[in-house]
Amino acid sequence: MATARPGRQVRLVAAEQGWAGRFQAMGSPCEVLVDGGSKANAAALTALVSAEAWRIEDKFSRYLDGNIIHSINTAAGKPVEVDTETGNLLDFAATLFEISDGRFDISSGVLRAVWTFDGSDRIPSQEAIDAVLDRVGWQRAAWSGGCLTLEPGMEIDLGGIGKEYAVDRCTSLAGDASAIPAMINFGGDLAVTGPPRSRSAWKVGIEGPAADSADRLVKLRQGALATSGDARRFLLRDGVRYSHILDPTTGWPIPDAPSSVTVAADTCTQAGMMSTLAMLKGPDAESFLAAQELLSWCRR
Amino acid sequence: MAAVPSAAADVGVTDMTASARKNERSVTATLAAATCALLGTTAVTPVDAREEPKWDFNTSLLYYGEDEGRVMDASFKSIIRRLFADDRSLTLGLTVDALTGATPSGAIRQDGPQSFTRPSGSSAYTERAGELPLDDTFKDTRVALTAGWQQPAGEMGLLSVGLSASKEYDYLHTGVNASYAHDFNNRNTTVSAGFAFASDSIEPVGGAPAPFTSMLDVGDTSNRAGDQDKDVLDVVFGVSQVLSKNLLVQVNYSLSQSDGYLNNPYKVLSVVDGITGDTLPRTPGINGGPSGEFLFESRPDERTQHSLYTQAKYFMNGKVLDASYRYMTDDWEIDSHTLDVRYRWPLGETRYIEPHLRYYTQTEAEFYRLSIDDSAPLPQFASADYRLGNFDAITAGVKYGWKTRNDNDMSIRVEWYTQSGTVPTQQLIGNQVLRDNYPDLNALIVQFSYRFSR
Repeated sequence: MATARPGRQVRLVAAEQGWAGRFQAMGSPCEVLVDGGSKANAAALTALVSAEAWRIEDKFSRYLDGNIIHSINTAAGKPVEVDTETGNLLDFAATLFEISDGRFDISSGVLRAVWTFDGSDRIPSQEAIDAVLDRVGWQRAAWSGGCLTLEPGMEIDLGGIGKEYAVDRCTSLAGDASAIPAMINFGGDLAVTGPPRSRSAWKVGIEGPAADSADRLVKLRQGALATSGDARRFLLRDGVRYSHILDPTTGWPIPDAPSSVTVAADTCTQAGMMSTLAMLKGPDAESFLAAQELLSWCRR
Repeated sequence: MAAVPSAAADVGVTDMTASARKNERSVTATLAAATCALLGTTAVTPVDAREEPKWDFNTSLLYYGEDEGRVMDASFKSIIRRLFADDRSLTLGLTVDALTGATPSGAIRQDGPQSFTRPSGSSAYTERAGELPLDDTFKDTRVALTAGWQQPAGEMGLLSVGLSASKEYDYLHTGVNASYAHDFNNRNTTVSAGFAFASDSIEPVGGAPAPFTSMLDVGDTSNRAGDQDKDVLDVVFGVSQVLSKNLLVQVNYSLSQSDGYLNNPYKVLSVVDGITGDTLPRTPGINGGPSGEFLFESRPDERTQHSLYTQAKYFMNGKVLDASYRYMTDDWEIDSHTLDVRYRWPLGETRYIEPHLRYYTQTEAEFYRLSIDDSAPLPQFASADYRLGNFDAITAGVKYGWKTRNDNDMSIRVEWYTQSGTVPTQQLIGNQVLRDNYPDLNALIVQFSYRFSR
């Protein structure tokens, strides 16, 4: 059913050292790099991975009607009972809300109604911000016993977790399905099932620590890499640059946020969340990352 | 409540900062636990990622000093490596050596003082009675440049090509080299082949003396010829094999073929009386000159060396035992054995100590002579160069290395080198039996190295 959507197709090409299966999901180009083995094996892995990615997209995309997110966001103050997988994601979001002092908030998406990061100088008025801020705040949600109740007008969006979660799910499925090492890369958030056989490590290019520095090469044998931030999404007014990372506690962009943060961690979910948490630290992103003792790159 | 004393307030602030820092660290643990719950996993293989540096700088300063005022070398070496995508790299090297001191000329000791014409032919010097004659004009600066390019060739191959050049006052070297290494067997076996070709030209101070001509008086250059040259071709074949996760072994065979001018233009042999073994006296010219008969050495113009090298590296919990043995034999009849052992011992995470012991022994070249017997026919070739004699050498030392705060590597190495040799007894004539004929050598080596990547 999932694969029946228009535009959903996979392409398998011979890569330098094996196969590359490509498809589009969650608004990103997705790739399954398989380190050798047969074409049939690579095709099977790509089919498995793309099906899982599309399943997650269909289930959790806030742009689609009829899924669990749509049910929650249109419940108008009524409780919604959720399945185990959705519940696990909500538990995870609740933990992130706690450890980020309320800055990582899956209910902050409605702020996008007033903020559009298109490089222009259109800063919304404080009144407009205050109006949407009334509908933001995970602390106002009632989440217990598999039931989620949002205040009317509130919405949730799992977009900040979904892609990394999908990468980890797909990596785990691919690792179980085949002993041939593979790298699962969804728009730059990636994980590997193990070290490659044909060379010493998977090589991933990332942007250097400074905006004008050259790309860096990371050798990954095990684990994952994820990047938060987008140097092209910002607002500029009176010489002040507003990043697209919004602070749900104020309704304003996080001041002095890095333009992007890349983190290497055991799983893509950890890497992605750690990079987002670092962005939310604003000027303290570097010291926060240093305290985590993870390999990371902070780009300003 | 009374105002909080400022000292207490300071403590409060400090405590908050420390606890904030602690909280930041605990984020990792909380996130790891939440992720495990989300993904339904219990054990996660830890991340193994490292950033490939783009630049690698390796710089060292070396002091080499022989005792009794002999050779001293102060050397600066810098190697810069630029890494590109797809495992390609460019390596540039610069070495500058400043050499000073004196080196044995090949002439034997005498009971009286001896005088010699300097290699330049423009002045003379005198060696005191009973002393080993040293040529004290040894002074040179050497600049060497190397450039190398390395890149993968196919999935399992690695190709390296390089150029080298060095210039001393009296010597110019130019060379090319190339090698190819191929991995097999899940990269547990590497087979390699390589060659190096050098074309060198020698422009001795005052011109190259014709072999077996006499050392002449100051100002007399009638036995001097122009510049000389030689070619050296080296070919190496090697196999390295990972035998277990702890043991790596390597075997190399190399062949070296030298052609051309292989003499040392500054080395002489004393011509001695067949009974007494003393140098035949000679009257120096009016502007000075040799006080005895000395002949410039004569070596064959070809040399073929074969060497077999084996190395084993054993890794045990961060400790590394590295042992190697080399056997070399050549058609000059020099056979040598080298045994080298290093043991790297980590001291905590960032420091190590590495003792090093090396033993070397060689037999003398077939044409090695302490002196030329005036009463016997002149041999085809002869050299009194102590480096072609029969000798043993021991190098013993220790290296201490540490990582700096910014993850750069530093090390200091201190080593003692001692060399002692013997002249075959059948070569000793008359009074030579009573003299100390082989110039023993002791040297101190101190090296400081600094390496950083970015």
